[in-house]
Amino acid sequence: MKTATFHTQQSPRAMPHWLRRTCHALWLINVVGLPFIALAVFFFSLATAHAETARSPLVTLDDVKSGTLLLKSSEAGRYIEAPRVATDVDIVVSGPTARARITQIFTNPSNGWVEAVYAYPLPEDSAVHALKMVVGKRVIIGDIKEKKEAKTIYETAKAAGQKASLVEQQRPNLFTNSVANIGPHEQVVVQIDYQEPVRLSGDEFSLRVPLVVAPRYNPAPITQTADLAADGSGWGTTADPVPDRSKITPPVLDPRINAPVNPVSIKVRLQAGFALGEVKSHHHSVNTETVDAQTQVISLAGDNHADRDFELTWKPQNAKAPAVGLFRETVGKHDYALAYVTPPVIEQKQEQRPREIVFVIDNSGSMGGTSMNQAKASLDYALSRLKPADRFNVIRFDDTMTSLFQDTVSADRENVSTAREFVGALEASGGTEMLAPLEAALNDRRPNDQSFVRQIVFLTDGAIGNEQQLLDTIAAKLGRSRVFMVGIGSAPNNYLMNRAAELGRGTFTSIGSTDQVDERMRNLFAKLESPIITNLSATFSSGNADVTPAILPDLYRGEPLVIAAKLGSLSGTLTIKGMIGKQPWEVTLPVAKAAEGEGLSKLWARRKISDAEVESTLGKISRDEADRRILKLALENSLVSRLTSLVAVDTNPSRPQDKPLTRADVPLNLPAGWDFDKVFGEQATRKASLDNGPDVQFAKLAAGKKPAVQQAPADQLPLPQTATDAELRMIAGLLLLFASAGLFFFSRKTMGKA
Amino acid sequence: MSTIRTRYGVSEWKGRAVLRPALRAGMIVMALVGLVLVSQGLWIHAKAMVAQVLLDRAFTRSVATGQPVKPWSWADTWPVARLEFPRIGETSIALHGASGQALAFGPGHVDRSAEAGDNGTAVYAAHRDTHFAFLKHVQVGDAVRITRRDGKVFTYQVTETSVVRWDQSGIDTNAAGKNLVLATCWPFDAATSGPMRYLVKARMLE
Repeated sequence: MKTATFHTQQSPRAMPHWLRRTCHALWLINVVGLPFIALAVFFFSLATAHAETARSPLVTLDDVKSGTLLLKSSEAGRYIEAPRVATDVDIVVSGPTARARITQIFTNPSNGWVEAVYAYPLPEDSAVHALKMVVGKRVIIGDIKEKKEAKTIYETAKAAGQKASLVEQQRPNLFTNSVANIGPHEQVVVQIDYQEPVRLSGDEFSLRVPLVVAPRYNPAPITQTADLAADGSGWGTTADPVPDRSKITPPVLDPRINAPVNPVSIKVRLQAGFALGEVKSHHHSVNTETVDAQTQVISLAGDNHADRDFELTWKPQNAKAPAVGLFRETVGKHDYALAYVTPPVIEQKQEQRPREIVFVIDNSGSMGGTSMNQAKASLDYALSRLKPADRFNVIRFDDTMTSLFQDTVSADRENVSTAREFVGALEASGGTEMLAPLEAALNDRRPNDQSFVRQIVFLTDGAIGNEQQLLDTIAAKLGRSRVFMVGIGSAPNNYLMNRAAELGRGTFTSIGSTDQVDERMRNLFAKLESPIITNLSATFSSGNADVTPAILPDLYRGEPLVIAAKLGSLSGTLTIKGMIGKQPWEVTLPVAKAAEGEGLSKLWARRKISDAEVESTLGKISRDEADRRILKLALENSLVSRLTSLVAVDTNPSRPQDKPLTRADVPLNLPAGWDFDKVFGEQATRKASLDNGPDVQFAKLAAGKKPAVQQAPADQLPLPQTATDAELRMIAGLLLLFASAGLFFFSRKTMGKA
Repeated sequence: MSTIRTRYGVSEWKGRAVLRPALRAGMIVMALVGLVLVSQGLWIHAKAMVAQVLLDRAFTRSVATGQPVKPWSWADTWPVARLEFPRIGETSIALHGASGQALAFGPGHVDRSAEAGDNGTAVYAAHRDTHFAFLKHVQVGDAVRITRRDGKVFTYQVTETSVVRWDQSGIDTNAAGKNLVLATCWPFDAATSGPMRYLVKARMLE
């Protein structure tokens, strides 16, 4: 036998033994292995399909076990767990400027990939100039790009599964940060840097860090503005007063049923440049560490959430603030200067002209709660300060308005007490239609009467989305009136307040809590009653200086003139001239002696951008010209603006292509002191019939812990899965049948041989 | 002569004696699993076809009575429209909702999309390998006739076809005019599911 076998093996015609075995093995592998591979592929694809459903960030109400925050997704009946943002604010104040770094830590609590969109406020005069995104250990630096280009870069990265961050300006004080492709349970850190000038009023310096975007009332497109075609055909289009309403209406949580979200920590290193006197945080409790006489470090005490603005004020140790301040900075080939000049207070002997004051008070739903009390207390104070020679009127508004008197009336005892009674009875409810009362207040029946000074005092939180309409109205109809804005509440819209006061040639006073009413209103009345400083001019003797603001404002008592300039050379003098009442006033500063400052170039550019906006609102330059200027300034100085955005893209893709990405807005807290029902009870019913915008609803879950539910933006209809696995099953099945048949023949053959 | 070929052959033979029952058992298991899979695949197609017959009956009754009629007592959906493609001679009964359960039986009318014949965009989705397999033959210019549950008939004309990602459909359900979108998975001949969708867009003929 052995020999026979040996023979066979030796036979040249027979296959060598090793080859035969290899063939057998190959055949076996093919017959058994292939079906198994097919099976494996089949189960794998089933598993991934399953994983896709399991990993989808969308959940149904039944899936939610604890009090989770849910956003309604575009798929009916399914929700997404809202991403969270923790914020750290680190500010260094050096002399006249504040350098801030905001760190936003985005967390995705869901099992899917999300794009988080966070709307947050920044000071209205902040120059946002840098963006960093930290992914794992990599730091990605953002670039400034034209808004559209930045959006394209972001969208491309988003589609490719790369992490990306896009910082866009929606309003000068309202920004959004979109972060794409945050993986399940992952964190992405985004840092935003900005510079801001410190505010000086009287002897008090102040810094304000807005922390929450207040829900805004967006007038429905019923109040349309029509634009007729230029060809004279008479046909035209109508514009929405709030063209970007979807971008400025993030979801807001009802504080009664949700624990506050979005924790905040703040640290301010205050290097005043002079010996510090009183340093006060107005709305938060703080820990203060004194480094030296000029320097303190202030940080928030305890747990805080983004639900009110942070306000810090400081005064010099010797009661008087320095009357002048001059700072310089050299960036590249250019020198920049920033000057603060406070004109002296001169008590005038001459007789004051009586005043004609129109008070406008906002009693809309957003003022509900403590804001309304502050507004009423403020107005009551103002009414009590009127003199019998003055004339006055009171207009209240929500989405309707009432003018107390037909025209302004003399401020005799009877009229004033009627007005105080009227104000005392006001209650907050309804929407915020601010245009009509503003027009009514600006409507001047005696435009040429020089015997009265006409002033408008406007008390509101400014929680509206159609700012530009109001600003245009002020610019167009101001006449001899002056507009004084009084910002009420824990999170007023400071952009609207400041710009309205600037265009209205008045001032802006902010009242954030009831105990500020007396002091701040007293200051405001001191301003209203004192002579103003007019005809201001600022001249650099060295020439070719680009000074901003281009139109120097009239100044009221205790207010400094703040100017920024780009200089040809750091020599010569800066001369400021003006009229205090009827007396000329002049001050000269040596430019070469300016102190070193920080970030002045950014502040100059930021202020130049505001100039372009103001000039365009006033109709001095065309909209296109303003756009051109803004774009140039923003790109040259790397600033976020209406036309430019910062974008950062991680080159390494992180989201696999087959995993869906869901967009979710980060929910916000209701500003402290607001009444949720007053705001949303009113708006929800009205809006439901007018637009398809997000309405706040609450899903009822286990008692106590209920998720807030809100419509996520549904721009695009998602399409269902539309492939069966019939084919896959049949292929796998046939392969298995084939394999078993193969095995059958194989075993028969070998058995036969045996 | 074939019993033992080498001295290793001895052990090989003994090994086979042990292997044989295992091999046979494996063979049977494989055959059974294969049969189950094949029949599952066939079942999906059979269900899709049989359901359409039942759905057609239910829909006809529904039009006659004006009430939603469930095609079988335990169904969690009901027919809402008949889609007809005269040029290629295809007909399909669409169901309320586009959940996985509904799509097994027929095209689904996607929730939140407009009703056929109303302003906005009506969206119907179905599987690429069953009810909407014929969608690849639909051409621009083809007519699509939709009979609603209330008996009203609307005729649409196909304006374009496109391929999109499922989450970037670009479909605006409130778009101006009376629009129709038929959606299915893409590519048609793929075996596994993917993120892409094939859309047939149509506008109503006034």
